[in-house]
Amino acid sequence: MRLKSNLPAALKYHAVVIESAAREARLDFFDVVFELLDAKDVNGVAAYGGFPVRFPSWRFGMEYERLEKGRRWGLSKIYELVINNDPTYAYLVRSNSLLEQKLVMAHVYGHADFFKNNLWFAPTDRHMLDTMGLHSTRVRRYIDALGQETVERFTDRVLSLDSMIDPYLPLRALSAKAAPPRKQTPMSERALRSLEAVSATPFSETDDEDDTAPRMSGLPTYDILGFIEEHAELDPWQRDVLRIARREAYYFAPQRMTKIMNEGWASYWHSKLLTGGILEPSEILDFADCHSGATACPPGQANPYKIGIELIRHAEALGEDIFQLRRVHNDVSLVHKLVDEDFAVRFLAPVYLPRMRGRDGEVPPDVTWGDLKTKLLQELSWGGLPQIELVDVDSEGEGELLLVHHHDGRDLQLGRASETLKNLEQLWHAPVHLLTIEEKQGRRLVCRDGEVSVLDTREAEKACAGEGAGESAA
Amino acid sequence: MFRIESDRARFREIVRGRIREDLRRYLSTGELIGRAGNRAVSIPLPQIELPRFVFGENPKGGGEKGDGEKGDPSDGEAAEGEGGNGAGDSGGSHILEVEVDIEELAEMLGDELELPNIEPRGKKELSADGGRYNGVRNSGPNSLRWFRRSYKNALKRTIASGNWDPARPRVVPVPDDFRFRVKKSCPEPDSSAVVFHMMDVSGSMGREQKEVVRIKAFWIDTWLRSQYKNLEVVYIVHDAVAKIVDQHTFFHLRESGGTKISSAYELCLKQIQERFRPEDWNIYPFHYSDGDNWSARDTELCVSMLRDEILPRVNQFCYGQVKSAHGSGQFKKDLDAGLGGHDLLVTSLVNDRGDIPEAIRSFLGRGV
Repeated sequence: MRLKSNLPAALKYHAVVIESAAREARLDFFDVVFELLDAKDVNGVAAYGGFPVRFPSWRFGMEYERLEKGRRWGLSKIYELVINNDPTYAYLVRSNSLLEQKLVMAHVYGHADFFKNNLWFAPTDRHMLDTMGLHSTRVRRYIDALGQETVERFTDRVLSLDSMIDPYLPLRALSAKAAPPRKQTPMSERALRSLEAVSATPFSETDDEDDTAPRMSGLPTYDILGFIEEHAELDPWQRDVLRIARREAYYFAPQRMTKIMNEGWASYWHSKLLTGGILEPSEILDFADCHSGATACPPGQANPYKIGIELIRHAEALGEDIFQLRRVHNDVSLVHKLVDEDFAVRFLAPVYLPRMRGRDGEVPPDVTWGDLKTKLLQELSWGGLPQIELVDVDSEGEGELLLVHHHDGRDLQLGRASETLKNLEQLWHAPVHLLTIEEKQGRRLVCRDGEVSVLDTREAEKACAGEGAGESAA
Repeated sequence: MFRIESDRARFREIVRGRIREDLRRYLSTGELIGRAGNRAVSIPLPQIELPRFVFGENPKGGGEKGDGEKGDPSDGEAAEGEGGNGAGDSGGSHILEVEVDIEELAEMLGDELELPNIEPRGKKELSADGGRYNGVRNSGPNSLRWFRRSYKNALKRTIASGNWDPARPRVVPVPDDFRFRVKKSCPEPDSSAVVFHMMDVSGSMGREQKEVVRIKAFWIDTWLRSQYKNLEVVYIVHDAVAKIVDQHTFFHLRESGGTKISSAYELCLKQIQERFRPEDWNIYPFHYSDGDNWSARDTELCVSMLRDEILPRVNQFCYGQVKSAHGSGQFKKDLDAGLGGHDLLVTSLVNDRGDIPEAIRSFLGRGV
């Protein structure tokens, strides 16, 4: 708590109490800084993905509008936000009750521990708060120099593609290097460096010396953004914007891969810490209400809080070392390891059986618990996104990209895929091909000069079938 | 911290631009109808989200429905009608609904069709109901006690009576010092308007004709709502007899039978005389039909009723003739012949939906 924080004394007191309880329970985290904000401002921060500042895009404004509408109509409410950063920043909503604040603080310490210790977060930028600020400044400079429309057209394109990364790449690179633990540069030096970056002229190629996400120039690759950044013909400012977007995408990727674990871990600890002596007896009932609200699981919907906390408890019951689990796993591998028949019947059946009902309202008789587990794994794999790989360049002599969608039984929405391809073509300045399967029929989407044509093809079925690589990188 | 506000402003700007681009389309389809609340219209904009690779069913597919992800209408036509999105499995695609104030929409309509603002006829000062608490009096309830005034009085009295001690500035009010706020009614220029939508629902008016009427009525209401604080809408349907109905019935009723237009005009006139006196109201009757009337005698009656009774009382009378397969289109000719050149009568002919914007412009383009 050595950093500036605007918490009132009463909350500060509870923060200290909870922090020491968390340390006693062997949680291990960077310093946590709490900030108290109005609900409206929390929505603003949430729209920026948890950051107070980000490069300008109407897309964040749209998200803000959506959140604000939800808040004003009482449909949704954000309790807390926490940023993976050193120190870890967490935002509390001013209008929350004292009990809610305690719960949130305990929850935040769970997240903070997870960020620091989970392997998938090891390659992330721990000074992202500063980095986001730098990114914002840089993009704003480009806007000042080139005009909003020009820059916006480009950021829209890039944001539309920002899921085209390889979430396993940073960790693979890190372990390949077997890098010595990253030295913490002293604050003064970092400040100097940010100053330099800010005062650099906008068109000089701002090169990041400590690029956390290394790139591969070899094919095939899932890191399509990285490939474009390296090989496409782009203006220096465009390359820089692309680099910014890619870097942010890699920063957020582990959060998508560990949603269940992260929320489960935090919920497990807020429950354990608070009921382990921190709550007043008079608060227990409200706590139970609040906790069960967060972990409620309406039939047919998967709530990561619920599945997550039950997974951790299940592991504990099985005698696993939960601290070790939270260090090495992501959602996919944890579910793969822990979900057994008992767990599937108790916690997955309510989620997936309602969706499997046929027209007659009956679940097909041959559904097994393994099917339930497969369903969950499928939703989690590759961060819940279609797995698309860049396999070849220029195989037909047009300089074109060839992408393959590794089909897992779920079709792509072709309309939106076509629009996305157009954006990719604009960046690459040459045609883009995508092989996929629709309705068990192989398709080749070809995007040339802003037009997409869909061809039937047999080769797609072979190329798209089967698992992609990568998934077993850990 | 509050950079997000500028992103939001930019987002709203983009949305407005998108709606403006699509306005001509909205003007000839019924897409926005049923989405209008009192103050705002919610408009679905499927194309505003950034495209991404996502899982989803494709429109034409009739295969398995197992995974239950609803299709996204991004490559086809926009969703018809309500077009909401059901509860999805994994929060896949969703249509973005943006809210636009009626006033803003009307402004776009005005820009698009170059409509002049309406100058309400007659400047009537009516005491509006509201009023503000800015009067003062000596008695009243404690909830309206005006602290500042009361304190000043007490202070004045204390000083005047020589009890004022700057070292101990204590002021004790007595009952006479107290002042209370009182509501003062402020006369506000009243701007009320009433719209009569009269529609021929006889057998010859088909579904397409009614749709055209519906779209026209929606945009006319939108525009007039932006011009008048208080807008009443009266729906009248007629075949051989006329009656007042609610909005839903107006657009869905399917009658058949003869057509006696005078019955509607009579009912409208009666309403004007009984409920909407011309001294207090700006009156806009609209009549839509396919141009068939029962007899030439009834048409004559209509013409004389318009000339002698209705036109002197209204801001403008609009007749919109919708072309139908069976209609003769005679009524417009008769009106033009009987009352041609009358300032307050506007007639228009709509052959198909493409003519709707022009018809609206001819109705509202005069600014009366």
